[in-house]
Amino acid sequence: MSLSVRQILVAVVAAAIAASPNTGCAEALSWSDTEIAILRSLAIDNLPPLPADPTNSVADDPRAAEFGQQLFFDARLSATGSVSCSTCHQAERHFTDGLDKGQGIGQSKRNTPSIVGVAYSPWLYWDGRRDSLWSQALSPLEDPVEHGGNRQQYAHFIETTAEYLEQYETLFGAWPDLSDPASVDLVFANLGKAIAAYERLLMPGRSRFDDYVDAVVANDAAAKQELFNPDEEHGLQLFIGEANCTQCHNGPLFTNNEFHNTGVLSYPGEVPDRGRIAGVREVLSTQFNCRSEFNDAQFKECAELEFARSGYEVMGAFRTPSLRNLAGTAPFMHKGQLKSLADVLQHYNDAPDAMIGHNEAKALNLDDRELQQIEAFLNTLTAPLSTDSKWLVAPVVPAIQAAEE
Amino acid sequence: MSVPGLVLSHGGVVEEEDLCVIKVNYLRGHFKIYQPLLDGHKEYCEDLPNASETVFVMEYLHESLGEAAVDFRIIRDVTGKGRFARWEDVAEVPDLDSATVFYREPVIDPDLLTVVHDFKEEGDFIGIVTANVDGDETIYRAVFPFEVGFTGFGYWPFFIVLLIAIQVQYLMMSGKFKRWRQGGNLVALLAVMPLFFAGKAVADSQTAWQSNRGVYTVTVTSSLEPIVINQIHSWTVHITSNGEPVSNAVLAIAGGMPAHDHGMPTRPRVTEELGAGNYKLGGMRFHMQGDWEISIEIEANGKTDTVVVMLSL
Repeated sequence: MSLSVRQILVAVVAAAIAASPNTGCAEALSWSDTEIAILRSLAIDNLPPLPADPTNSVADDPRAAEFGQQLFFDARLSATGSVSCSTCHQAERHFTDGLDKGQGIGQSKRNTPSIVGVAYSPWLYWDGRRDSLWSQALSPLEDPVEHGGNRQQYAHFIETTAEYLEQYETLFGAWPDLSDPASVDLVFANLGKAIAAYERLLMPGRSRFDDYVDAVVANDAAAKQELFNPDEEHGLQLFIGEANCTQCHNGPLFTNNEFHNTGVLSYPGEVPDRGRIAGVREVLSTQFNCRSEFNDAQFKECAELEFARSGYEVMGAFRTPSLRNLAGTAPFMHKGQLKSLADVLQHYNDAPDAMIGHNEAKALNLDDRELQQIEAFLNTLTAPLSTDSKWLVAPVVPAIQAAEE
Repeated sequence: MSVPGLVLSHGGVVEEEDLCVIKVNYLRGHFKIYQPLLDGHKEYCEDLPNASETVFVMEYLHESLGEAAVDFRIIRDVTGKGRFARWEDVAEVPDLDSATVFYREPVIDPDLLTVVHDFKEEGDFIGIVTANVDGDETIYRAVFPFEVGFTGFGYWPFFIVLLIAIQVQYLMMSGKFKRWRQGGNLVALLAVMPLFFAGKAVADSQTAWQSNRGVYTVTVTSSLEPIVINQIHSWTVHITSNGEPVSNAVLAIAGGMPAHDHGMPTRPRVTEELGAGNYKLGGMRFHMQGDWEISIEIEANGKTDTVVVMLSL
């Protein structure tokens, strides 16, 4: 008896749930001209071609990208022979690793960010402590808790690995005499430039959101309804409106690549991370920055370095990450403090005072339903990369196989 | 050894205008304590509810602290003075090290002091911040007794406890300012700007912008046309006064989005005076779509006036 009542209840509830989306989307949301302009600005069709990188003479050389891909996946570029770039930047996880903080030889100090589309950013790392893709690529190689090796070791490795030496010389000219430390620096910088050439190929693909924007622009109600359910539509409307997300997550990569303090809690056992205030100091003094002799540009234009914001206003600020494909990249924030998208949205909804510096975000006071709608929208940004799949796996190189056997 | 007058507190930490302030002699810091594992972002000034992992933050409100070697020590209260403990009492502790539960070596840090300590037990403790300002000669201290596992009133009435807890070995005054309030001018400026500009205009090379008091007229041309977000570029600013080009002007640039209460992502400045009243403004970048206001303070021939250029992206 009680069972049958329960069955009836279940049936009624199920019917209600099944009916609700239909009643909810009887009329698709209509967008204002201003909103449509914002939607178009976020669509991937609005992504300009990747600008040239004059600091890296091989940035767009396909041979450099191939060489860089081999280096990216080669664990011999580490003190232990066990850590490659792909140890943390795992292609199948959108080039992240699913951990709070990267795990190389030891635990790194921050969360592994995706590198898809990062070639568009004037700043690299959560704190922007590097100002080019190639100089960023060098830094983990010598970090004691990441790859843990040093440039002498890597230069020697290339010198004694025939197929790498050959590729190197094709790209960068005759192998230099390593007894000169300047030559070691040069070889090291060039390895970074090859890896950067590879990373420049990693680009996000067209997502359901982008198709939806097309449908909006074409004013195709049927297509809109087919592409987005009412929750996703309302989530998007909140995203570009009331929730203020596009203050920072703007443009087709959903990032302004700028630094913001959003008051994320310190990581357990650690003091609060200072972020950009330290990062800007480092990038101004680092050996391989834009002003260095390793910048290949004929005329070194280092406007970003020259006009960089510094000082207390960037205390506790971190670089805005892209939101494309974020669904598979938990945990979030610079140390993986927030474990789910729901946690992230709740955090922005509350906008607590920052432990250090000043939280730029303001409390949103959205209700749970609205936060879920934003989350539903964010999940529409998931899509396979536009990059050819051959770049997303370790290349088949005889030398690597030989080493593993 | 002298005494710097009465301080309204029971230690080196006081509450001022809702701000918890630690006074290391005349050097002040914004003091905040957190127990993130249990209380998230909840901020404490001194007494702590739990024996738990605790983060102490001291944001320097005085530049000298950023040049000083600052150390941080927490001892169990072995002075028997409880909330009345001061440096003289601490100095008499025969074996400070064995009473110490946490010690952070002196570090010169330009911005702030942060330490994390996991309190294993409840009880009375004394925090001691020491700033060594000038080599070994000048040592300033703040001593603040506090309780871990505090179960008394959350609003402990400080005002009944008049105590001097600051040890002075050196008295000097200095007119250094509060770094953390820098930028307040910009915010204030942005707040009043909309009053002067009803209606929305867009920066283009045809628009002539009048300075607030009418001294200067400005037109701007961008190297990036049209201006899009997230691309660094430069502007050429053309300045006239009574129709004549203005030369040798000094320009100060501040910009931001009044609707969002934030400034620019870069620090633009004049990189070149091009002649005929033209100035090249480098480092322009806007990181968000919407309404921007770029304030250009112009000083020439002893006359200072500010023009605000509006921009819609």
